[in-house]
Amino acid sequence: MLRGIVGMSDWRVWAMFGVGLALIWLAVKKEYEPNLLLPIGFGCLLANIPFSSAVGGGFLDVLFKGGITNELFPILIFIGVGAMIDFGPLLQNPEMLFFGAAAQFGIFFTMMLALLVGRIPGVTGIPGLREAAAIGIIGAADGPTSIYVATRFAPGLLAPITVAAYSYMSLVPVIQPPVIRALTTREERMIHMENPEHEVSRTVRVIFPIAVTLIAGIIAPMSVALIGSLMFGNLLRESGVTERLSKTAQNELSSLVTILLGITIGSSMGGKQFLSPTTLLIIVLGLIAFVFDTAGGVLFAKLINLFRKRKINPMIGACGISAFPMSARVIQKMAQQEDGSNFIIMHAVGANVAGQIASIIAGGLILALVR
Amino acid sequence: MDPVVAAGLRISGLSYVLIFVVLGIFYGLIKLLLRTLPRRDDSA
Repeated sequence: MLRGIVGMSDWRVWAMFGVGLALIWLAVKKEYEPNLLLPIGFGCLLANIPFSSAVGGGFLDVLFKGGITNELFPILIFIGVGAMIDFGPLLQNPEMLFFGAAAQFGIFFTMMLALLVGRIPGVTGIPGLREAAAIGIIGAADGPTSIYVATRFAPGLLAPITVAAYSYMSLVPVIQPPVIRALTTREERMIHMENPEHEVSRTVRVIFPIAVTLIAGIIAPMSVALIGSLMFGNLLRESGVTERLSKTAQNELSSLVTILLGITIGSSMGGKQFLSPTTLLIIVLGLIAFVFDTAGGVLFAKLINLFRKRKINPMIGACGISAFPMSARVIQKMAQQEDGSNFIIMHAVGANVAGQIASIIAGGLILALVR
Repeated sequence: MDPVVAAGLRISGLSYVLIFVVLGIFYGLIKLLLRTLPRRDDSA
């Protein structure tokens, strides 16, 4: 009976209670990614109660082995995400794909930075390329991909990487605007873009997820689980004949797996592992990844503009990160602040869903190339 | 240069280029689909 109370003498228990409560506060009060931060925060509390029956062979350990270690939860989440995504704006305007590619820059910049920091004498948390890659993938701005790669490359760093990824995704409205303003002029931010008027047929919408899965799978087989589940969800949506399955993937499946994923990730936030200088380092590097993703996308758009007659609003480049649909909303809001008559939302959404595809390809390539 | 850092640089650069290549293929695919298939479904 008393051992729980005695266990409270460890300062790390109190510190992790603070972390868990802070995550719950961010979810409830600030509404930052509440669907994930709230379960993560509560899972953190469950895991750090001294001698908790939820861990150490308890139900959270069962969930961890059955959903995280074998990568099942992120895959199931992707089926739901795929069912929610409308690739229409991208199919109408396929040039946006390249902004999705450009905005993955933060992944590789951060991976290199993590690698260099890990070589500094005294820094022990990032011993090699695998750990650096797992940290860099925070720049995918895509929770399931981060979890998937971290589970393979650095399971010990899974909790801080996941918390950083989801926290920064929710902070996109805070992170992106200053970076964009620093890299663009007001005139550039006021550039209008014509909306594509042609329609996309159902045939194209059905062929697209199948073809993308086959092409991506053949080029990078390691990405099949991620891209395949995303595109399977999208096919359920676009086929037009599986509405019930599509709705289930979008709602029940997504909600159920999100609950399990969140609380299970929270349960991996044990004080001994989480309270380390490496966690702090990951939090800083994660922010750098998001900043350089944004910069990569914006600068790529400016580069393209050097060769184009009809200029692109360079803010569109920032939407190439995968934080969907947050980033597109942020950029549309910024465009309207500069010029109330400027509507670039369709282009922004196109770049944003391109970022979703690009981040998964990035994850697959990293899994294939890093040994 | 530290061999691990050199490997990281090589993998980062290659991956970034390959993302453009893969998405470039998707770009070609979409263009091809839009060009060869009707813009509207007959049933619509």
